[in-house]
Amino acid sequence: MIFADGITLLCNDIQVDPQDIVMLVLSWHMKAGTMCEFSKKEFTEGLQSLGIDSLEKFREKIPSMRSELKDEQKFREIYNFAFGWAKEKGQKSLALDTAIGMWQLLFAEKQWPLVDHWCQFLQARHNKAISRDTWSQLLEFAKTVSSNLSDYDAEGAWPYLIDEFVDYLKENGVNQHGQINDSSLN
Amino acid sequence: MERKTIDLDQGWAHMQSGIAKLKRILEGLQEPQFSSEEYMMMYTTIYNLCTQKPPSDYSQQLYDKYYGCFDEYIRTKVLSAVRDKHDEFMLRELVQRWSNHKVFVRWLSRFFHYLDRYYVPRASVPSLNAVGLSAFRDLAYTEVRANARKAVIDLIYKEREGEQIDRSLLKNVLDIFVAIGMGEIVQYEEDFEVQMLEDTTSYYKSKATIWIESDSCPDYMIKAEDCLKRERERVSHYLHASTEQKLVETVQHELLVNRANQLLEKEHSGCRALLRDDKVDDLSRMYRLYHKIPKGLDPVANLFKQHITDEGTALVQLAEESASNQKTTSGSGSQDHVLVRKFIELHDKYMTYVNNCFMNHTLFHKALKDAFEVFCNKTVAGSSSAELLSSFCDNILKKGGSEKMSDEAIEDTLEKVVKLLAYISDKDLFAEFYRKKLGRRLLFDRSGNDDHEKCILTRLKQQCGGQFTSKMEGMVVDLTLARDNQLKFQEYLNENSYVNPGIDLTVTVLTTGFWPSYKSGDLNLPSEMVKCVEVFKGFYETMTKHRKLTWIYSLGSCNIIGKFNPKTIELIVSTYQAAALLLFNNADKLSYSEIMTQLNLNNEDLVRLLHSLSCAKYKILLKEPNTKTISPKDSFEFNSKFTDKMRRIKIPLPPVDERKKVIEDVYQDRRYAIDAAIVRIMKSRKVLGHQQLVSECVEQLGRMFKPDIKAIKKRIEDLISRDYLERDQDNPNTFKYLA
Repeated sequence: MIFADGITLLCNDIQVDPQDIVMLVLSWHMKAGTMCEFSKKEFTEGLQSLGIDSLEKFREKIPSMRSELKDEQKFREIYNFAFGWAKEKGQKSLALDTAIGMWQLLFAEKQWPLVDHWCQFLQARHNKAISRDTWSQLLEFAKTVSSNLSDYDAEGAWPYLIDEFVDYLKENGVNQHGQINDSSLN
Repeated sequence: MERKTIDLDQGWAHMQSGIAKLKRILEGLQEPQFSSEEYMMMYTTIYNLCTQKPPSDYSQQLYDKYYGCFDEYIRTKVLSAVRDKHDEFMLRELVQRWSNHKVFVRWLSRFFHYLDRYYVPRASVPSLNAVGLSAFRDLAYTEVRANARKAVIDLIYKEREGEQIDRSLLKNVLDIFVAIGMGEIVQYEEDFEVQMLEDTTSYYKSKATIWIESDSCPDYMIKAEDCLKRERERVSHYLHASTEQKLVETVQHELLVNRANQLLEKEHSGCRALLRDDKVDDLSRMYRLYHKIPKGLDPVANLFKQHITDEGTALVQLAEESASNQKTTSGSGSQDHVLVRKFIELHDKYMTYVNNCFMNHTLFHKALKDAFEVFCNKTVAGSSSAELLSSFCDNILKKGGSEKMSDEAIEDTLEKVVKLLAYISDKDLFAEFYRKKLGRRLLFDRSGNDDHEKCILTRLKQQCGGQFTSKMEGMVVDLTLARDNQLKFQEYLNENSYVNPGIDLTVTVLTTGFWPSYKSGDLNLPSEMVKCVEVFKGFYETMTKHRKLTWIYSLGSCNIIGKFNPKTIELIVSTYQAAALLLFNNADKLSYSEIMTQLNLNNEDLVRLLHSLSCAKYKILLKEPNTKTISPKDSFEFNSKFTDKMRRIKIPLPPVDERKKVIEDVYQDRRYAIDAAIVRIMKSRKVLGHQQLVSECVEQLGRMFKPDIKAIKKRIEDLISRDYLERDQDNPNTFKYLA
C-alpha cells in the first residue's frame, strides 16, 4: 500500500504538486478506492493501462493526462469518480469541507461562474454532508443551466438542495453575470 | 268511330271560356259555380288534345299554356293589386291573392289533370301542382317578398313593444313563405328567418343596453324570462316551429350571454347580493335562465363558490380574532366549538341552495366543495382544522361536554362533522387527534354513550375506508375485552386468596398497535402498588405466555382515603398523584428534590403533579413558600387541616399538551407513507418520469393528506441513496426501479 508519504515521494519524482488535479486523473486511471492511498494492484495495473514503465514516460504522460480534463465525457467520468474517491471509506455521503475543496479544484478546470456562490450557500444553509445524487446532478446543473437561471425548470427532477440553491440565488438577486448581492455575506 | 282531330287553337278556345269563368270567380265577381258538365267538358277537351295521334298530340303545348294561364293572370291582376298597397294592407292583399292562387291551381290542375297522368312522368317534368306553385313563386312572390318581410318584421316589432297585432295575418303570410319552399324550409329561412333573427338581435341588444344600466339583477332577469316566454309564444302563434331554437338562442345570447358578467356581478343586486340576502326565488330564476346556455352556469357557480369562500374565511378570521382576544381565559376550547358549529351551519345553508335553487347540479356541488376546501384547511389560533374537528367530536362524545343535545341531535351533528372531514386535506392528522382523545375517553370512562361512539366510527369508515378506523375500532373492542378480563381476574383472586394484594385493583390491558403511544414512565411505585402489579402479572401469565405487559402508570387512577383532622375524605386522583401523597405516610415534610428522587419522575411531570395537589382548588399539600407556582426549592407538607363539604372529591391532573407530539408523529408517518407510495409506484412502473411520479404519489396519498412536493422530492432522493431507485443515465428526469 502506498500512503500519503509515498505519494509525496512519487509527486516529487514526477515533479507534480500533490494538490494538482492531475493526481485525481491519475487516481481515476488507477481506479483508486480512496484518496491518498494506492494499493499495489491499483498502482501497478493503473500504470500498465497507461503504458508507463519508467519515470521518464511517467513525466511525459502528465500533460496528456491533464488534457483529458478538457474532454466532456472524460471530465464527467472523472468528476463522478471523485465523489467515491474523496469520501471516507464506509460512508455514504461526502463531508462538506472535502466536497467544497473538490469542487473548487474541479471547477477551476471547467469554468462555472456560480461555484463560489454554491459553496457559500452550502456553508450558510446546509452544513451537512453531500449525497452522491446531489454531487452528480450538480455537474448537470452547471452544464445545462445558464448562470442567470432563466432556463431553470423548477418542476424538474433536480435534487432538493439545488432547488434551495436557486431560491437562495433569487432571494439574493443574482444578476446576468452570476454576480450576487447577498448582504449576509458582507 | 274515329274521333275527329281537334286543332290546338280550336281546343284552346274551348278552354278559354272555362278559364275566364274561373278568373271571374277568383276576382270575386258574381258567377255561378262550375257545373259537372262544364267541368267534364274542360277535362275532356284536354284529354282529347293529348290523346290524339302525333302531330296532333298537343301535350307539351298544353303544358306550356297551363303555365301561361298563371303567368298572364299574375302579371295582369295579382302583382299590381299587391304592389298597390302597403304594410298591413299589402299583407292582407297578398294573403288573399295567395289563397286565390291555390284555388286557381286546384281547379286548373283538375282540368288539365290528364297531363299529370302521362305527360308529366314521361317527360320528367314537374307536376301541375308544382308548376302552379312555382308560377306564383317566380312571378309574384319574388317580387313582393322583400316588402312582405319588412312589413312582417315591423309588425313583430310593434308586438314586442306592446301593441296588439293581427297574429293570424302573420301566420298566413308566413305560411306562404313556408309553402313556397315546396317541402324545403330553405326559402322561409333565407327570405324571412335570417333577417328576422338579425332584427331580433339588434332589438334585444339595444334593450339589454338600457336595462342592464337601469335595472337591478332580479328585475332584469324577470324581464329576460318574460321576453323568452313571449318569443316562444310568438313561435307558436305565427312563426314556423323550426325557428324556435334559433330565436331563443338569439334572445339568450343578447340578454344573458353577452351581459352575463355585468348582470351577475352587479354590486347591490347581483348573484352575491342575492346569496347574501337569501333571495331564493331570484336565484332559482338565475339558474333556470342560465341552465340551458352551454357553459352558462359557469360564472354563476364561480360566484357561488367565491361567496361561500368569503363567508367561510370571514368565520375563520372571526375565530382567530376572538381567540387572540381571549388569550387569558381558558375558554379557547369553546371558541373552536363555535367555529365548527358555524361551519356546519354554513354547509347546511348552502347545501340547501344547491339542492333547491340549483337543482342539485354537479357544478354547484363542486363549487361548494371547492369553497369549503379553501377555508376548512386554514389554521385558527395555532390549531389546525383537523384538531378543531377532533376536539369538537370529543366534546360531544364525552360525559359532561359543554353541549347538551338529544340523541338524535348528536347523531345528526356527528354525521355532519364527518361530512366536513371530507374537505380537510390532513385527514391523517384528524385521525391521530381523534384516536388520542378517544383513548382518554375510553380509559377514563368519560365516554357518554357507546352507541354514539360506534355510530361515528361507522360513518368514518364509510367515508374514509376501513383502514382509517381499524385502530379505533380495535380500541373500543379492547375495552370490552378488558371488562371480561377483569371478571376473570376477580375469579382468580377469589381462588387464590393468598395472593390478594389487599387493594381493589382493576387493570385494563390494551393491545399496543391500536392505541396511541403513551410513555411508560419508570415511576417508583409505592410498595402497596408494587404488590398489585406482581399479582396481576401472575394472573396474566396463566392466560397467555406470549405477551409482554408494559405498565403505563400515567394513565391510572386511584381512590385514596385521606385521614384529615376535620374528617376523612376520599380522594380520587391519578396514580402519580397517589404515589406522591403516599410518600407523606412516611414523612411529614419533603422537599421538591426528595420527592423527585423518590418518585423518579422528570421535572415537567413533577411540577404538574405537585401543582395540582398544592396550588389548585384543593390544597392537599401545603407548600413552602406559599406561591402560585412550583419551584425546585419548594418543600411540601401534608395538610392535615384540609376539609371540604363533600366526602369524596376528585383532584384532576391536567393533561400534557399533546399537540406537538401528535403533529410530529403524523409527519413521521407521512414520511413512511410517501416512501411506501414511491416504492409501490416505481415497482409496478419500473421506469417513470419525475413529474408523473410526483403526481401519482399525490393522487395515491390524497385520501389521507396532501403531500408537500418538496417532501416527496426529499424522499425520492433518500430512496436513491438507499439504492431503491436510480436516475436514468441519459435522462436525469426519469427514475428507474432497482430491484
